[in-house]
Amino acid sequence: MSIEDDEILQGFIEESLEHLADIENDLLAIEEGGADIDVELVNKVFRAAHSIKGGAGFMGLTVIQNLAHAAENVLGLVRSEKLVPSPEIVNILLLASDELQQLIEDVANSNDVDITEHVNALNAIYEGGEAPAKPEPEKTAPSPEPAVEAPAVAAVEPEPVEKAEEVQPQPPQEEEHPGPAVGTQEVQPEPTPEPEPIPEPPPEPVSPPAPKAAAKKTTKTKKSTPQKADTSIRVTVSLLDQLMNLAGELVLSRNQLLQTITSGDVRNAETVGQRIDLVTSELQEAIMLTRMQPIGNVFNKFPRVVRDLAKKLGKQMDLTIVGKDVELDKTIIEAINDPLTHLVRNSVDHGIEPPDERIRKGKEARGLIVLKAYHAAGQVVIEISDDGKGLDGNMLAETAINKGMLTPEQAKAMSEKERTNLILLPGFSTAKKVTDVSGRGVGMDVVKTNLDQLGGSIEIESEVGRGSTISIKLPLTLAIIPCQIVMTGGERYAIPQVNLEELLRIPATKVKERIERVGDAEVVRLRGNLLPLIRLSDVLDIPRTYYDPTREELKTDRRKQVADRRSRSTPMFKEDIPQDTPEQDSNRDELERERGERRQSPASALNIDVVSTGAMKYGLIVDRLHDSEEIVIKPLGRHLQQCKGYAGATIMGDGRIALILDVNNLSRMAGLTSLDGTDRAGELADATKNSIIKAKDKQALLTFSSSADEQFAVPLNQVERVEKIKRSDIEEVGGRRVMQYRGGSLPLVSIEEVAMVKPLSDQDNLLVIVFNLSGKDIGLLAIGPIDAIEVSSDIDDVTLKQTGIMGSAIIAGHTTMLVDIFEIVQTINPGWFADYSLPETVAESGFVPTILIVEDSNFFRNQVHSYMEEAGFNVLEGEDGVEALNVLEQHVDEITMVVTDIEMPNMDGFELTEKIKNDSRFAHLPVIALTTLAGEEDVAKGKSVGIDEYHIKLDKERLMECVHRYAKEAEAAQPA
Amino acid sequence: MEPNPITNKNILELATFYIGDALCGMDILKVQEINKLMEMTKVPQAPDYVTGILNLRGQIVTIVDLGKKLGLGETNLEDDPRNIIVNAPSEHIGLLVRKISDVVMADPDRIESAPANMSGIQGGFFTGVYKTEDKLIGILNVEEGLKIDSESHRGRHGQFDS
Repeated sequence: MSIEDDEILQGFIEESLEHLADIENDLLAIEEGGADIDVELVNKVFRAAHSIKGGAGFMGLTVIQNLAHAAENVLGLVRSEKLVPSPEIVNILLLASDELQQLIEDVANSNDVDITEHVNALNAIYEGGEAPAKPEPEKTAPSPEPAVEAPAVAAVEPEPVEKAEEVQPQPPQEEEHPGPAVGTQEVQPEPTPEPEPIPEPPPEPVSPPAPKAAAKKTTKTKKSTPQKADTSIRVTVSLLDQLMNLAGELVLSRNQLLQTITSGDVRNAETVGQRIDLVTSELQEAIMLTRMQPIGNVFNKFPRVVRDLAKKLGKQMDLTIVGKDVELDKTIIEAINDPLTHLVRNSVDHGIEPPDERIRKGKEARGLIVLKAYHAAGQVVIEISDDGKGLDGNMLAETAINKGMLTPEQAKAMSEKERTNLILLPGFSTAKKVTDVSGRGVGMDVVKTNLDQLGGSIEIESEVGRGSTISIKLPLTLAIIPCQIVMTGGERYAIPQVNLEELLRIPATKVKERIERVGDAEVVRLRGNLLPLIRLSDVLDIPRTYYDPTREELKTDRRKQVADRRSRSTPMFKEDIPQDTPEQDSNRDELERERGERRQSPASALNIDVVSTGAMKYGLIVDRLHDSEEIVIKPLGRHLQQCKGYAGATIMGDGRIALILDVNNLSRMAGLTSLDGTDRAGELADATKNSIIKAKDKQALLTFSSSADEQFAVPLNQVERVEKIKRSDIEEVGGRRVMQYRGGSLPLVSIEEVAMVKPLSDQDNLLVIVFNLSGKDIGLLAIGPIDAIEVSSDIDDVTLKQTGIMGSAIIAGHTTMLVDIFEIVQTINPGWFADYSLPETVAESGFVPTILIVEDSNFFRNQVHSYMEEAGFNVLEGEDGVEALNVLEQHVDEITMVVTDIEMPNMDGFELTEKIKNDSRFAHLPVIALTTLAGEEDVAKGKSVGIDEYHIKLDKERLMECVHRYAKEAEAAQPA
Repeated sequence: MEPNPITNKNILELATFYIGDALCGMDILKVQEINKLMEMTKVPQAPDYVTGILNLRGQIVTIVDLGKKLGLGETNLEDDPRNIIVNAPSEHIGLLVRKISDVVMADPDRIESAPANMSGIQGGFFTGVYKTEDKLIGILNVEEGLKIDSESHRGRHGQFDS
């Protein structure tokens, strides 16, 4: 055999492997179709086998050629519907295609391989098939052992013959085959006659089909085979052109840059820099595209894997594949192959139960495995879910304890999800015993390690008896990943954006209040959850430092113990370092802090990266936060492999190296478990919740002044916007002050028009706080400084109350008057608002609606109370949900509707509503929720428990309108 | 350095350098380059003999302090030391040495086996010694020198191995 042209051979190999990859799936589809032959599909396989045969013949690869030919013969029979593709036949074809693949992968030695078994098996079918064939009925027939060919043939061969009487009265056409020779003269007329008279055919008749098939394939611009690393890859010409263009652009830009540098033209340098930036990113994208391959390349082999394995195990299952077209970097596609196979096999082997067990459990006998790929948040997610028996977290925890990997206390503290994910721990699953107990988890840690190397993450969700879902998140590409750069101990570190949830900065003033100690761990309260904290410098065992932005220097943090262990509130830092910087990132506590007379050093603030490792979240305390950057991962050397805390290193813009942190291992190094299950957490949960309630109950206020020494505030959510104007902008028209605003006239009022306060300061620069009331804009004249702050509801509604002023509070050391803009406008402009007092009819019918107001803050309760009473309603009050229910019990018949706050101690508004709506006595009552924050989640949650309407606190107008509407309905429903 | 290919093809060129006060040498063909880049990034938790990592034209190079590794104490970075960059399997490694000395032509036949201890360094780190007229050069077993010092690691960070 002589292989003349490497290039042609290489082309043949690639193309043939492509064909084979397709053949496999097509064969499986054909098998599924059974007697219902999809001629198109069979044709496709036939053609594929045919072009392999042709190419092999051309190359002088006789063995490949013979095998392909034998397969083609059988396929020819199937195509002409003389043979029904029974699972056995398909099996033999599959085995043959496997063999073909092996042969082609090792072309050089292929001619020395003995393929008699395969050829004999195929020929046997062929010969038998020429005789009338019949569909093979049972699917559950014992599968031929893949390794042993001869018995398989024996089992199959008689089958079609034995049931000969069934179909097609076709006389048997026996032919002699001398050994492996394939010189079959096809007697039956075939749609594509391809005479192969001689075992070693001359190139001429055979060569045409190969290029033809190749051309057909190329137009589809496809994939190389995933099985082999280091092969070539097919790229569309248009993409290549694009790359070429970009390369040209880059060269031009470089020339420009060089020119600019020589001429020293700074302004131009900027433009050139931008241009290079642009071209580089485009180039990066385009090159990335060349590496992108559909994940179908990996997925396609799973039908076969599942089928073979299920057969072997005597199980029944279907495999559904979704999202074959999702594209991933070639290296990832290649690397994901093994872990995925492992996971799928696991699902088949351990996940799905045998049919009888499934039936006993009341499930369908056929199991279902779903393989799904999709894009989510810049990553590719692959999900493998089965409806099998699932993972038992408790069992896993027990095993881990037995293995000494976990203390019982730790296990106790774990959440269900964490327990399930124990299976991923290194060393967890090596022992056979685990498999018996858990039914899962051979080498799951290996899978995890593989994925970690890819920069991916794995997460398991499972329900005992219902099945499990394993989600793998993968970056689109390995080469370049976005990272958050942080600094600790004078060195930079990169945290992959994939792991990063959010950045948190706790100003020095809040450290005391937000950081707590649970057990040995420090935690921060974050939106109602306890987030464990790790100090990067501690995990890495380097001296603690902190960065002083005022002096721009790094200082050693000499404070030894973070906190006194006995105290529960743990100030991570000592507080009073009298320093001051105005520049800081935005934090909603910030404004308040800056207003404070005594300012805190920003150096004492904590910078926390909230990172997620799949199963848990934690906060990583670092010295400084830098930018987010796209970095190129470089592996660390052998000597540093033992440093588990790093995923690699990268080179920064200045040429120095930054280490990439492996947040997963960092948490392990710190011995962190999430706090979801701890007793302390439970104990603290209520306290935390209460504190959250307080925090949520805070009213956001806009403070401003009218005269130099009086401070006012209005609820921030009433404010539309704030405009800066000059005094000269104000026009006095018809006895009213107005200004031009967005093409109309904005009426202006000032507080002193209504309330007894000092007159508006006589200065040129004024502020106009714009409110929107009843669909009309109105401006309140004010002067600075303005500020947005949050205060708790300790509002005194007696001392300073007067028309236009609803009360007062101490804000940042000043007595601040809360302006009631409704009252002001109403006083000045009585006709402005619709009259929401009770209509006449109500009085006539004698029906006076009673409203139950549930609100824990005195101030708000009184406010709402007074609105309602003013409008003529009867009012009942409750301080929290529990009290409200009591009131409800007592006054079931009187109450028309409930107006409730959401955040309350003892029983919150959601719970209250739920109770009301689930009680037949109260279910008819409309529930209106009042809240300071109406986040979408809250609204959705509220709707789900049955809250009828949401209103923002102190939006009197809307509230009244709404209450009124419900009152009318109630009245209409009132039995006459 | 003038290689002399004519007289003896077997001649071994040794790049010699000082580790502490010990004169050591290694086959010059194993040396990729010698530089004095000291812009290293420290790697917390690395074995103590790893001084840091270095960006060598886009490649991450681990710098091993041979002084520390061979038990002669840390090489002082103020002392203008040098990195000998060598090829290790699938990476480059920099060997931090105190000072670079000459290239010595050595006759392989005259290399003697290493004593148990040479200038305070364990003999196991040497493949042999070579005597010149006035000096004794320990020929460094680079592979041995680059072995991962798992002993010291286990002692320090054992608690993380689960």
